[in-house]
Order: sequence, then C-alpha cells, then structure tokens
Amino acid sequence: MTINKSSSENKKEIKLSISERFDFSLHQQFRDAYVHCNEEGTEFKLDLSKTTYMDSSALGMILLLKDHADKISGKVIISNPVESVNKILEIAQFHRLMKIEG
Amino acid sequence: MPNTSVKNGAKLALVVDDSAMQCKVLSVLLKEEGYRVFTANDGARGVSMYIKYKPDLVLMDINMPIMNGYEATRKIKSLSLNNLCPLIFITSMDTDKAFIESIDAGGDGILVRPFSPEVFKAKIKSIQRISDLYGQVKKLQQEQQQDAELAEQLMSGVIEARNFALEKIGIVKKPAALFSGDIQLTALSPNGNINVLLGDFTGHGLRSSIGAIPLAETFRVMTKKGFSLIEIITQINHQLYDLLPTDLFLAASFVTISSHDSSAYIFNAGLPEAYIFDDKGEIKHKVLSCHPPMGVLPKLIEDVNLKVITVEENDRIVLISDGIVEAHNEQGEMFDFERFEQAAKLGIQTENVSKTVLSAVNEFCQNMEQEDDISLIDIPCGGWHQTFAVHQLDGSPSENKNTNQIVDNTASWTWSLHLTGQHLAKVNPIPVAMNQIHEIEGNAEHWQSLFTILTELFINSLDHGVLGLSSDLKSSAEGFAEYFSERERRLKRLSSGFIDLQLRYFTHETGGRIEVRIQDSGKGFEHKEIMNAGSNNENHQQLSGRGIELVKQLCERLTYQERGTLVEASYTWS
Repeated sequence: MTINKSSSENKKEIKLSISERFDFSLHQQFRDAYVHCNEEGTEFKLDLSKTTYMDSSALGMILLLKDHADKISGKVIISNPVESVNKILEIAQFHRLMKIEG
Repeated sequence: MPNTSVKNGAKLALVVDDSAMQCKVLSVLLKEEGYRVFTANDGARGVSMYIKYKPDLVLMDINMPIMNGYEATRKIKSLSLNNLCPLIFITSMDTDKAFIESIDAGGDGILVRPFSPEVFKAKIKSIQRISDLYGQVKKLQQEQQQDAELAEQLMSGVIEARNFALEKIGIVKKPAALFSGDIQLTALSPNGNINVLLGDFTGHGLRSSIGAIPLAETFRVMTKKGFSLIEIITQINHQLYDLLPTDLFLAASFVTISSHDSSAYIFNAGLPEAYIFDDKGEIKHKVLSCHPPMGVLPKLIEDVNLKVITVEENDRIVLISDGIVEAHNEQGEMFDFERFEQAAKLGIQTENVSKTVLSAVNEFCQNMEQEDDISLIDIPCGGWHQTFAVHQLDGSPSENKNTNQIVDNTASWTWSLHLTGQHLAKVNPIPVAMNQIHEIEGNAEHWQSLFTILTELFINSLDHGVLGLSSDLKSSAEGFAEYFSERERRLKRLSSGFIDLQLRYFTHETGGRIEVRIQDSGKGFEHKEIMNAGSNNENHQQLSGRGIELVKQLCERLTYQERGTLVEASYTWS
C-alpha cells in the first residue's frame, strides 16, 4: 500500500499516510481513501512525514480532499512535511488554505 | 510492394508447415473463415513470406527443416513490434515444455492436434478478437497523438507567436510531455509598460492545456486596454477559478516593467522565487511566492500586494518554473536554486541567460528522463523607450501642429464619471473611459496616446490630490518603493474625497480633438514646479514629474488651475 489509512473509533479523525512519492499515480487510490468518509465534521490528517517528493498534481489532489472535507464541514490538516515537501507547500502558499503542523 | 494490392478485402493468413498435407487441411479451414491463405514449408521461407505479405494471422508448426518454428517465430515477432500479428502454434507435441517454449518464443497461443474443425475455428476467432482490440487501441493512440500535436501547434503558432518583443525577451521552453503545461506570455500596454507572465498549469499534456487559451486572451486583451497588473491578476484568478476543476490550477509569476518610472511590479503566485539581477549577475532581489496559485481561491487574498521594485536600465528579471530547480541527476540530486543562481550569473556575464541556464541543466541531468516542463523568461529592465516610441509613431505629438482648422466649437459628445471614496480605490476609470471612446469612435492608433494622457493625469489627481502624497518621496530609488506602500495604505483607508473626470469630443474637418478635464477634492500640489521642471533636460533622470512631462509632450495644451486641483488637457489628431 502506498497510502495507509487509519481512523479513530468515532470515525471523526482519518489519518492518511502517504508514501515516498506523492504524484499522479496515487490519484485513484488517494480518492478512494477518503471519498466514502462522509461523517459530519471529519478531520483528515494528511501525514507527509515519509513523503520526499510531491508534484503539482499532488497539490491538486490535496485541494480535492479539501473540497470533500468542506462539504461535510470537516477540515484537512497536513502533518510533518519534510523540508523539500514543505518548500513546495510554501511556494503554493498552502498554509493560507489549511493548517500545516509539525 | 505486392501486399498492398493483395490485402484489399479479405484477411491474409500464412501457414508454415513442412507437411503439404497439413498445409492443405489448414488452408481449407481458413478459407471457410474467409481468409486468403499463403503457405510455406520451412521456417526460413515462412519468415520471408511474412515479410513479403504482412499477413493478419500466422499458423506455425514446431518441428521443421532449415529453421524450426520457435526460431521463425522469434524472427517474425522481432519484425512486427508495432503490429500485432497473432501467431498460433499448431503441433502434435502435447507436453508442458512445448507449450511453455512456444509462448516464450512469442506465440500468442497453441493448438494441439488432433482437434475438430469447430475447435480450430473458435481458436482463430478468439485470437482475431484480441488482434482487433489491439488495432483499436493503436488507432486511438494515434488519434490522441494527432490531437496533442494539433494542440501544440495551436499553442506555439497562435498563442505564443503573438507575444510581444520576442527579440528582447529570452524564453526557454522544454516540455516533458509533447504538450507543455507551461505558458509564457508577453504583451505591451498602451502606456508603454511591458506585461509578462510565466505560468505552470498542474500536470502536463493535453489536460493541463485547457486553460491556456482563455488565459492568453484575458492577459492580452486586458493589457491592451490598459488595465493595471493587479486588475489583470484578479480577473485571471477569477476566470480560472470558474473554468477549471478543483485540482487544476495555474502557478504563475506576473511582471510589469514600467520604464518611465523605472520600476518593476512583480506578483508571484505559486512559482519559485522571481529574481532580479544586476548587470554583473549579482542578485538584487528575490520575490517569493505570496499567494496560492491562480484558480484555487474564488478571490485574491486581501492583504497581498504587488511587489514594487526600483530597477536600473541594465537589471534583468528572470522567472523560472519548478522544472528547473527540481530537475534530477542520476544520483537523485536536485539541480536546485544554488546551481541556477550560478548559471544565471554566468549567463548574464556572457549575455545569454536562457541558453546558459538550459545547458547547465542539461549537463547536470545527463541522460535522465525529464520529469517536468522546464521554462524560463529573461526580461531586460531597460531599453524599452525606443520600442515604445516605434509603436507610438501614429499618435505622435508632431501631428498636433495643424490645429488651426477647427471648424466646430460644440462637442460631438461628452462623457463624465464622478468617483468617490472607496470607489476611487477599487475602480480604475481609465479603461472604462477608453471603452466608451472605442464604442463611439471605433479603433484608432492615436487612442494609445490619449490613454497615456488620461492615466497620467488621473494618477496625479489621485496620488497628489485625493491621497495627498508628496512626490518628494519619489526623488530617491528607495523612496519610490516606500511611496507605493504608503499609497496602498492610504487607498485602503480612503473613505471620502472625489475625482471628477470629463471628456469632450470635437470633430474637426480632418481628425478631431478631445478635451480632458479632471478635478479632485485634494488640497492641490506643487504643479508649477513640476510643469517647469519638465522643460529642463537635466531633470530627465528624475523619478518624479516624468508623467506630466510625457503628457505635455503629447498634448496641444495642458493647464493646471485652482492650486493644481483642476487640470485641463487638449489632445488633437488629424
């Protein structure tokens, strides 16, 4: 598995851990991981601690996740991006769109 | 080639078997299925028949003299890489070994004797079905390739060929896929400013290109109509937000080079830093991304402003896409910013930034496959005066000399606009005014000069009148940037004040005249000093008062009254 999913007991927190490369090849898998999580107010935690490469389609995929979260009054939190990935998030100014922690 | 003539109509089958009897039996069955059949009695002859007739189906025996079936199959398969010609082994060797070896050799199936005619025909049908599917995929692939080629032609031939000043602005464009997600646009605004855009759509290929045409159109039309950079950016963001799906967006840097006030205005939304180098290749400024890419948010973020930077004639602005810094070598290292900065420095010293950077990237990556589009724009900050003069010739002030033939003293039409408070901060009335003129009088070259006059006079009234800014601030290069941030601050807080703009249009026997009247609610300004200063050539390098000087040159008459709160200008053409 290149995307690891774990959820809290009440299903209010979903953690998605992404593998080393976060790019278009994960598109379908990434979508499948969240599209059926429709619990009101779900918090999606996107764990990028293992990700060392991310391209612009990955940014697009995160925006799709955010769209989904917004629809169910939930939110997206990006956690622990490594330096190279953080630089990409910074260039795209994603901290203006969602919380980035770690 | 005989095969083309033979091939019309029925499908061709080639039977390779050393037994004449077997050939005969298989031929009969194949003919019943509508095939035309050729036969060969050994592997070598089978290969040469294959080359000659390019059949749609091959039936192959295993044990044959001269060349056996496995070897012949390998040869045939190596000759038909791009063309699936299904090949079935027909044998009496009912062993696992024979089965495995025949598939290894490249066979698409095996049929063990004895078999009934019905089983044989079913096998042929199933294999032909697969072959037909392969053909369809192949055809789709070709169509897709053609679409991509067409899109690329459109992009380079239509969109980018219309760019302005390609001889002065260096552009590198090296797409990863056939169709690049990167776009480079340049255009000239009516007041002589140059607008430049380097954009990177998400992903590459056809999908990433759907926003390119509306983007180019908006950028060009708004630049041509004289909208300011921030207005263009606002519109592009809004348009792409409406147009593109959530996961498609445009990371872009926007630059306006304004040579008459020696400034560059830069906005970076999602691209790596934009660089300003001096003539020795030293970095003077880096402009970091300050906004999410275009099309992500429905509106621009409020507290984000254009970066205003004072530039000198020999400075260069270099914009890059992430494909340059993220290019990898075989060891997995990135090209990164440091190598780029070194290459750019060398490029400035050797006067070819784009080529030097590109060859540095190529040398670094060696034979690695390019993962992302690579693009760069290198813009000189100076030398634009001449370019503008050439483009402006038609509306030059020399035409204003035949002014004694005025025949009509009543205006053909008048148009006015009264803007107050926050509307002054939000609305740029000049494109609105120009639109009116275009609507009523149609297109004409001399409107470019009128645009400059209106813009300069309006900005003067707004800055020095309503906002009460002193032009003293602009006397130094540092002060210039300070002036702009103070201006932004005052604009945001603006709650009262007005500017009244009036145009009166007169028709002459040849040509015509427009009288401009602009009044503001300010306290007035030192208009006499500026009006006089302009006539002195030594003051030409001064940063302030240049706008008025330009207007004076373009107008037949220019007067300031009421302490500088009322200006009247008269522009004539023939």
